Amino acid sequence: MTALAVGGWICLLAPLAGALLITLAGTSISRRTAAYLGTLSVFVAFVGALTAFFSMWSHSPADRSELSTAFTWLSGGSFHVGMSILVDPLSIVMMLVVSGVGGLIVGYSIGYMDGDDEERRYFAYMAIFVFAMLMLVEAGNLLLLLVGWGLVGLASYLLIGFWHHRPEAVAAAKKAFVMNAIGDATMALGFFLLIFKTGSLDFSVVFGGAASLDSTTVNLVALGLLGGAVAKSAQLPLQTWLPDAMEGPTPVSALIHAATMVTAGVYLIVRTHSIFEAAHSIQDLAAGLGAATLVVAGLIALVQTDIKRVIAYSTMSQIGYMFVGAGLGAYASGMFHLVTHAFFKALLFLVAGVIIHHLAGEQDIRRMGGLKASMPRIWLAFLVGSLALVGIPPFAGFWSKDPILAAALARGDAFGWILLVTGLVGAFLTGVYTFRLFFRVFYGEPSELVTEHAHEHGDNDRVVSLSLGVPVAILTVLSTVGGLLEIAGVWDPFGSWIAQVAEPLVEPSTAQEWATSAVAVTVGAAGMWVAWAIYRTGRLSVPALPAVQRLLEHKFYFDELYDAIAYRPAQLLAMWLRNEVETPFVEGSLDEIGRVGQEAGAGVARAQTGLLRTYALAIAVSALVLAVIFVAVR
Amino acid sequence: MLGPSVPWYLAISGILFGIGTVGVMLRRSPLIVLLSLEIMLNAGNLALVGFSRSWGVSDGQVFALAVMAVAASEVCVGLGLIVAMARKRLALDVDELSELRG
Repeated sequence: MTALAVGGWICLLAPLAGALLITLAGTSISRRTAAYLGTLSVFVAFVGALTAFFSMWSHSPADRSELSTAFTWLSGGSFHVGMSILVDPLSIVMMLVVSGVGGLIVGYSIGYMDGDDEERRYFAYMAIFVFAMLMLVEAGNLLLLLVGWGLVGLASYLLIGFWHHRPEAVAAAKKAFVMNAIGDATMALGFFLLIFKTGSLDFSVVFGGAASLDSTTVNLVALGLLGGAVAKSAQLPLQTWLPDAMEGPTPVSALIHAATMVTAGVYLIVRTHSIFEAAHSIQDLAAGLGAATLVVAGLIALVQTDIKRVIAYSTMSQIGYMFVGAGLGAYASGMFHLVTHAFFKALLFLVAGVIIHHLAGEQDIRRMGGLKASMPRIWLAFLVGSLALVGIPPFAGFWSKDPILAAALARGDAFGWILLVTGLVGAFLTGVYTFRLFFRVFYGEPSELVTEHAHEHGDNDRVVSLSLGVPVAILTVLSTVGGLLEIAGVWDPFGSWIAQVAEPLVEPSTAQEWATSAVAVTVGAAGMWVAWAIYRTGRLSVPALPAVQRLLEHKFYFDELYDAIAYRPAQLLAMWLRNEVETPFVEGSLDEIGRVGQEAGAGVARAQTGLLRTYALAIAVSALVLAVIFVAVR
Repeated sequence: MLGPSVPWYLAISGILFGIGTVGVMLRRSPLIVLLSLEIMLNAGNLALVGFSRSWGVSDGQVFALAVMAVAASEVCVGLGLIVAMARKRLALDVDELSELRG
């Protein structure tokens, strides 16, 4: 095996080993040791990913993808699936982000989860999640990808419901799992179709054959894949689980519901771009759903009062941008936004976690305010994260969001213009909701709660404050300089790196890049100004539109809609089946069967008289009867 | 061939077997029941020996010897049980011993 493959396998298996060790060691290791073990295993994975990356770097561009098969996993007739990993320029980016940002967040959890009763379980779950996510991105064929896809859903379920004594957390976990299961099912259906038509799930066979499939098949397959992507990435119409998933611990929100898992849909589209390119209308649908989500989520974020939910809606909105990029065929831009988003969104969540930690679990921004004085460093980190999110130069989001908008412009047709305009509206909304949060939390009169907790700083032990502080500091730096991987029109290492796997369909000119950047920054800054005017100086007031406000507070009534079209009918059907089928037929027939058995038993029991002479008589009579039959038949 | 012919032996054997059967079914004392059982076994023996003579092979006589051994062991167990019952002062009546009633 080459260093590339070795790095890939180490990266994949280290977190699994960590999870197994923590589970098997049980209570024989301290909680803190379990935390260190979990963190270490993810960092080993990061080292493995780095090894693979540098090994890949030294290869020639034609030789940068390696499929390494450990053994044949399934085989039936001519259909074979190998336990194989694919390390190529696309998966290495995801590996580095997952294990790198993942390592930072698991390290942060050492402090955040310190003292929790079930710390060991938490770190085992986290390691399992990192393993599953790496499985997803390193999978060497579509079936293994689906395995990873399902496992991240499981890990997400376990971690959302980590505080299982809270009914809301359990309900949120179930909701996330069910919503994701819909996506898993559509993906599996797409795969069945692929096996039926191409006889294989290997990337090379499927992607090579995608262009020659008939258009119905390829559209259905792409639709199935899109269903999976939309569910996992919380895009319309399967988005309602993500805000509820904020019931999980904050580092979980940062890792799973911001930086890595929810971006898997974007990775999937880029990975299977050959299929989407053959099904052009479905690719446009992906971009359209992304655009719709980015505006809807941005609008809802304006009225949320829970600090984590605001960031969650912002995540949905930013993933919408990535979908627009991937749907337009600007794969590198979508992936680049994925990477920078992982930095600044993880940063925002971790900072939110520090604030929640500081305020003893309070998440409502109406009870916060004036935190700048007591938490100056956190203020700075949050400011950097917010600026990166809004896309203000030179922070990371600026470099990655604008190429997506430029790609929409470069597409040129009416659909491209619609995407561009929605993207710009989204940029404005991003400015407003992000800085609404910023001003609400850090400025204004300190609330009672904040004053109460103002002087509690520094009483934590050193490990806790280091583990909370260091990841935040590193992510702050990454959110500041992370965008310099790619400067539109000038410096293009990331774009050409991804283009080795997925050639872009649209190439915006430098003039288009600069023009959209100028407009997007202006619009974002305008959004910030509006937030400043409303929430800082009070010069503007929130427009009084009760109907709109109600609509937004109910999140466009999506939950109510799904209740009405899926949950209620299912419940009614179940009730009807119970009353009309279960009770009379199933239960009734069981009772009947039981009664027949009992009566038969009673009848037979009557023959058992206990009298020896009756038995002898029975034997004699039977012998006689047999003898008569014997004679007669002969 | 000396003595009466084989059907006579079989007739006697059948009569003995009938007596034994009626004894087992009608008598209530376990001792008599055992006795009747012995009669039935010996009716069987007689039939075996008779057929052995009829066919001119000795297999039936060998079987009769084996049956005697079985009968002896059975009487041992049966009498042992009856003695045990008597020592426990249980009624010596097979109709009284009906705990296995369903």
